[in-house]
Amino acid sequence: MLKNVNQRIAIVLAVLSAFYLVLSYQLPTYPYIPVDADAVPKALGWLLLALSVGLFFAKDRDSEEQKAKRHIPKKDVISLLVVFLLVFLYITFFESLGFILATVLFVFSSTWYLGYKKHWVNAIVSILFPIILYSIFVYMLQIRLPAGILPF
Amino acid sequence: MGALEGIATGFQVALSLEGIMFVLIGVFVGTFIGMLPGLGPISAIAIMIPITYGMDPTMALVMMAGVYYGAVFGGSTSSILLNAPGISGTVASAFDGYPMAQQGKAGKALAIAAISSFVGGTISVVLLMIFAPMLASVAISFGPPAYFALMLLGLSAIASLSEGSTIKAMISAVVGFMIATIGIDPQTGTARFNFGSANLLDGIDFLVIALGLFAIAEVCYLIMNRAKKSVGSAKEIGSLRLSKDDMKEMSGPVGRQSFLGFILGILPGAGATIASFISYITEKKIAKNPDEFGKGSVKGLAAPEASNNAATSGAFVPLLSLGIPGSGTTAVMLGAFLVLGLQPGPMMMTDRPEVFWGIIASMYIGNIFLLILNLPLIPYIARLLTIPRPMLISLVIMFSFIGVYAISFSVFDLYLLLAFGVLGLLMRMFAFPAPPFILAFILGGMMEQSFRQSMTISGGNISIFFQNNISLVLIILSVLSFIFPIIKTIRTKKKEA
Repeated sequence: MLKNVNQRIAIVLAVLSAFYLVLSYQLPTYPYIPVDADAVPKALGWLLLALSVGLFFAKDRDSEEQKAKRHIPKKDVISLLVVFLLVFLYITFFESLGFILATVLFVFSSTWYLGYKKHWVNAIVSILFPIILYSIFVYMLQIRLPAGILPF
Repeated sequence: MGALEGIATGFQVALSLEGIMFVLIGVFVGTFIGMLPGLGPISAIAIMIPITYGMDPTMALVMMAGVYYGAVFGGSTSSILLNAPGISGTVASAFDGYPMAQQGKAGKALAIAAISSFVGGTISVVLLMIFAPMLASVAISFGPPAYFALMLLGLSAIASLSEGSTIKAMISAVVGFMIATIGIDPQTGTARFNFGSANLLDGIDFLVIALGLFAIAEVCYLIMNRAKKSVGSAKEIGSLRLSKDDMKEMSGPVGRQSFLGFILGILPGAGATIASFISYITEKKIAKNPDEFGKGSVKGLAAPEASNNAATSGAFVPLLSLGIPGSGTTAVMLGAFLVLGLQPGPMMMTDRPEVFWGIIASMYIGNIFLLILNLPLIPYIARLLTIPRPMLISLVIMFSFIGVYAISFSVFDLYLLLAFGVLGLLMRMFAFPAPPFILAFILGGMMEQSFRQSMTISGGNISIFFQNNISLVLIILSVLSFIFPIIKTIRTKKKEA
């Protein structure tokens, strides 16, 4: 029954709108306010529900181009996941290691992983860029980036 | 302050040493990011926002505007040389630009694109200078109902004009609006949808959404396509010189399409992409030899190039004079204004004339810089395209991180950035357009506020939206723009049956 991709998406969206609606109906309301904080969310929730029903029954032809766009070769899925993992680690250590160290490690490793062969160039770029940007932000723009374990 | 005085102030800003420097930085960065296939003007602007923290707001916006039209200007280079449009506004430029380049006339194609873009850009800045103040003086009398109706029109137009399925575009817009409701409600102080987390009390920052949905999602596609050769850098570009006949052939389309592009740019929802396609089609229809189109026609390249640049300035009309963006890109521009503590709109012309006129005046200078950058220097700039993809990907991620962290100082927002990046990738995969999402997200809070203000004025009576002529017309127009695509689908179905 759910051969169509759009129908599957429609169901996910309907569940999402139901969840959003439940939360909207739990929002507190106050007397003497013509339109309270819950009005717009309720309207949006019902609108999304209606649209997901519309999407479910829509005869949207899935073009070949769309199918091609959706098809990600397995190799690319792995590279995406690895980069996401690196990004995740980058975020996790962003404050504890500090901007410079975390960024140097991230830029170098992800550039390497994605297939850049000139390691010396990579090392120079991934060390210089974070240091220059850190100095610009912290010393010129007075915007603090995390220093982490480095003393400056 | 009179208009002439305003213009004089604007040029004072734009022609100051600082002004010239920031215009130059803006257009250079814009050209560069615009050239890179995959990264569009929204990413370009969003990536540049953190650099403007702490800068003088006028200069910051002069630079950001430069990034925007620079990206549209530069997008044509990769359309012509690689058949891989740098941005969606230059897809139509590849139709005739790429065949021309294959015939060994890449230089000529680049010159046509640069000159058409320059003329389109310049004509439309003149028009912008005339129309923005006019619209602002009308808009000053707009009350909350008219503003609400105007924003509704902007949203319905972008949803119905988006590529692909209208229903998906509408879903994008509604979800974007939903995300905008997260956080403390500014009118009653009720915390909404924050799941008890203090991190979500202030809502989600627009930069998280802009960088996630665009920059990070675009990076994902770059990761998948990283093996593709960046550019044949040594490729012979050939002579940049144009003959008198070429100039003559260009003049008609460039003149016409600069005006058409400007008008389309003003309209909510349209923008550079739609303008360039409409211009291409119109020129093909009125051409004496429409068969030439698609095979390296001068007209076929000049028309979309004049039009997309004209549309870019056109899009500034509603942004500067009403404070309401009509497209995804101008929505991000509005975000940039707000980050810098400025609220564009009818009051800006009188309150902050140096910003209002400074941006407009800087566009003249920016266009001249772009012509210089794109004509004699283009062979050298095109070499920048050889920057290896793996490094580019890592650096874009790093820039996005700085942008988000420097505005919120919160690691939580970085995780959100990643999450919105995944959402952006999924949206692209399943053909949900992202521009309606970002526009609805940015307009959402403003729309809700003006809606509730109107209802408070009327004491809860919804008829207030139909009592005022302006809001009535705008609401009718937005309803029409919702219905129009439905009628169109029914008609095409009938024809098929």
